[in-house]
Amino acid sequence: MVWYALGSILLPLLGSLVVLFLPEQQVKKTGQLFSFLAFLCGLALLVSFALTGESFSRELVAINGVTCYGITVDTLSVLTNFLVVLIGWLICIYSAGYMSPDNREHPICEGINRFYSLMLLFIGSMAGVVFSSTLLGLLFFFEITGICSWSLIGFYGDEKSRKSALWAIALTHSAALGLYVATAYLYVKTGSFSVTALGKLTEAEKTIAFIGILIACWGKSAQIPFHPWLPRAMVAPTPVSAYLHAASMVKVGVYIYARTVLAAGKVPEVIGQVGAIMAVITMIYGFIMYFPQQDMKRLLAYSTITQLSYIFLAISIFILGSQMAFKGGVAHIFNHAFGKSLFFLVAGALSYTTGTRKLLMFRGILKKMPVVGLGYIAASMAITGVPPFNGFFSKIMIIISGFEIGRHNLLILILTIITVIESVGSFIWFLKWMGTNVFGTPSETVATAGKPPLAIKFVLAFLIIMTLISQYIALALLS
Amino acid sequence: MEKSILFYLLLAVPLATSFLAFGIKSRRLVEAVHFAGISIEAFLSLQMVQYVIREERLFALGDMLYADSLVAILLLIIGVVGFLNGFYSIGHMRYDISRGEIDEKEISSYYGFYHILLFTMVLCALSNNIAIMWVALEATTLGSAFLVGFYKHKASAEAAWKYVLICSVGLAFALYGTILTYSNAFAMVQDAHKAMLWTELIKMAPRLDQQVMKLAFVFILIGFGTKVGLVPMHTWLPDTYSESPSPVSALLSGVLMKCALFAIIKYYAIALQAIGKEFLETLLLIFGLVSVGVSAFFILVQKDIKRKLAYSSVEHVGIIATGLGVGGTFGVLGALLHAINHSVTKSLLFCTAGNVIVKYGTRDSQKIRGIFKVAPITAFLWTAGLLALVGSPPFNIFISEVVTVIAGIEAGHFWTMILFLVLLVVVFVAFFVLISETVVGSPPEDLPKGDVNWLTLLPIGILFVFMVALGLHLPSTLSQLLQRAVTIVLGGTI
Repeated sequence: MVWYALGSILLPLLGSLVVLFLPEQQVKKTGQLFSFLAFLCGLALLVSFALTGESFSRELVAINGVTCYGITVDTLSVLTNFLVVLIGWLICIYSAGYMSPDNREHPICEGINRFYSLMLLFIGSMAGVVFSSTLLGLLFFFEITGICSWSLIGFYGDEKSRKSALWAIALTHSAALGLYVATAYLYVKTGSFSVTALGKLTEAEKTIAFIGILIACWGKSAQIPFHPWLPRAMVAPTPVSAYLHAASMVKVGVYIYARTVLAAGKVPEVIGQVGAIMAVITMIYGFIMYFPQQDMKRLLAYSTITQLSYIFLAISIFILGSQMAFKGGVAHIFNHAFGKSLFFLVAGALSYTTGTRKLLMFRGILKKMPVVGLGYIAASMAITGVPPFNGFFSKIMIIISGFEIGRHNLLILILTIITVIESVGSFIWFLKWMGTNVFGTPSETVATAGKPPLAIKFVLAFLIIMTLISQYIALALLS
Repeated sequence: MEKSILFYLLLAVPLATSFLAFGIKSRRLVEAVHFAGISIEAFLSLQMVQYVIREERLFALGDMLYADSLVAILLLIIGVVGFLNGFYSIGHMRYDISRGEIDEKEISSYYGFYHILLFTMVLCALSNNIAIMWVALEATTLGSAFLVGFYKHKASAEAAWKYVLICSVGLAFALYGTILTYSNAFAMVQDAHKAMLWTELIKMAPRLDQQVMKLAFVFILIGFGTKVGLVPMHTWLPDTYSESPSPVSALLSGVLMKCALFAIIKYYAIALQAIGKEFLETLLLIFGLVSVGVSAFFILVQKDIKRKLAYSSVEHVGIIATGLGVGGTFGVLGALLHAINHSVTKSLLFCTAGNVIVKYGTRDSQKIRGIFKVAPITAFLWTAGLLALVGSPPFNIFISEVVTVIAGIEAGHFWTMILFLVLLVVVFVAFFVLISETVVGSPPEDLPKGDVNWLTLLPIGILFVFMVALGLHLPSTLSQLLQRAVTIVLGGTI
């Protein structure tokens, strides 16, 4: 199983080098091939882990007897890695269609090598984050994903995208200082970088380490006060937004939070309380910001911010004593990735065919482009948590566990009630836009739209199915 | 090979090459002699490193010359990075000739001075006698001044003048420090020869007079600190680094600066035992953090790419000083490792900047646009180098910065380290702005496409390999050298 995990990390990294040296015509095929190989590794790992069910850690790089990097295979990492490589592969297929001169929003004639190289580098370093058994490894790949994100946001190279890219790297790197400090602090106190060494710290030391970790996680997952980079990052090519800024990179924050909390044994309650309060504050902010949004991708960005808050809330509730909250949180990492990336790719398909992302321009999508319309419906149902779509299952777990802890914790009770209100509110808001955009007779923009390429339609269809079944994969592994 | 011969060869080869180079008129021939000279020197220094690993400490010329692990690290930098910068010089100077920047006849004096500088640096590294070390460092200023002013513009002449003046004044301070240390030791042993030898001084360090050593170290830090470029003695540095030919900037920042730095480290080792950690800690942390802090904002506002890199050298010296300041095994390890990493990375960047300047004909970051479209390999190296410089993984500086932060927290400087990291974020942002401005975007229309030739790209490529390799893995030889050097500095016996 170690090799499957390493395959998920190293194959995309290798691919990232290879595509740099290929002629442009072969890049798309090669990129898809390498991401597919990584996906196969992830799939094989998922299957063999489901069959044997053994979690383990393996030390890989050590200097003078101190482990610097190792891999951990457990439910959390196997599940998260699966979503990383699966969506990574789908995005590589989608991009083959999207990144073309026929794109009406942004005709793309050059830079394909760079794009695929960075994409593959990103897939590999995401897998690196996911499997890392040490804080140093987490930090190492955390920073590399940041650099990938920075260069992909700035892909078009104009003034606005360069500025947005700078926002992203400056804020996430500033937040990363928390992780630098936590890593160094952990080493000083325990002589080890291993995540499990967190368990050896005293209560007060844990508080210091976790404050550092939380700050880094807030940065990467675009929570208040580090949130401004994510809506700005929407200038990136849409496959990038779908993959980095909805499905995977923004999950690094919540993933590290989950990983460290899981490994640390008993975590001080104050961390749980701070985590929960900040999560709900971000949730309220994100929700309010839905209303003025006219641009589809920016709306989705704020929705991502609030959905990540759900996961922060879940893991914080886990700290306060609910096992179910953790499962809900992890399942939400998994489920939300499919729903939200589908939504982004729908937005991408719309901008590809119509050249705009303005929500008010769309009407009657379902009639003109059935797959895209269905994708819209499935995605909005999934992220607002309507059964039988996947978002429902993980959200309900988080909310139930919130009420469970809330019985003897007034703070959590209040926060959970706010969460329920947010959930209903966002459902109504997305329903409104769905009603406006999907049904009815096509507006002029939609009627004159071009045809989405087969690659785009295939990926949308695949993800629609995933929004219906991903919860079963998650729950099967988590129980 | 007889070991002491190696010492003499290390000194004789650059000296002889230099004489040869001055005498040769043909460009091709002088390039060949130069290349042979730097190759042999690199080979010899590697040979010396091997001896040191086997035997730990070697002496020659009546103990006047010596080599241990600390010296070996410096020698490694001089040999290898000096070789690569010399290699790059060949391609770069050919461009300067073809652009009419310099006359073909003058090229032999460039290589002549290059090897004189190499000679003085090797002498500085190898000398056990603190007076000779001082003389050698003073001599590096003279040797390099001609290289700094090689373009003979008004600006480069001014830079060279400023360089000689400020560094000489600075080094005068270091002379006081040297004399104070000597007289302190002489009062104890009554032996003029022994009182000059570093290996003897370190033995008697715990018995030296505290007050005198305090004073001596302050003089040394200000004196050699001028040459290293610590704030506020750094004022010559941006001018000098930006006006020199790019390979010279690379050599000054990558190698020469490290010679002065290692001189400080040698006194640091004595002072550590003579006066204890506290005084050094305060002094070095203040100089270190002020250097990082001041240069961070200068990097942000400079327009000239080489000036940005020059200020970044000040910043990195600050990081090294911070590492020494917090002290302890990790602090010194971090400082030494950072010195190596900075040499590799900064040489790469100055050389790449040289290529960019050759391509665009300007150093103004506002005019350099779209390197990626014009010269993709250069753009790649430039981006990678700048990423490494700000401490991004998977490159080498990430490792030494993490080690420094660990050392700081271990020594109980929690908030100081947070301040340190915050200052580094300013630098981080400044260089990301530079990358996004220069690399992407659309280049000036009349610019011919294509990279500068392989002769300039090959040495940079080798530096790039080092940069990545040191970021992913620390070779056991190097780690052994570093561990021993740390023990030497901290005053333990090996």
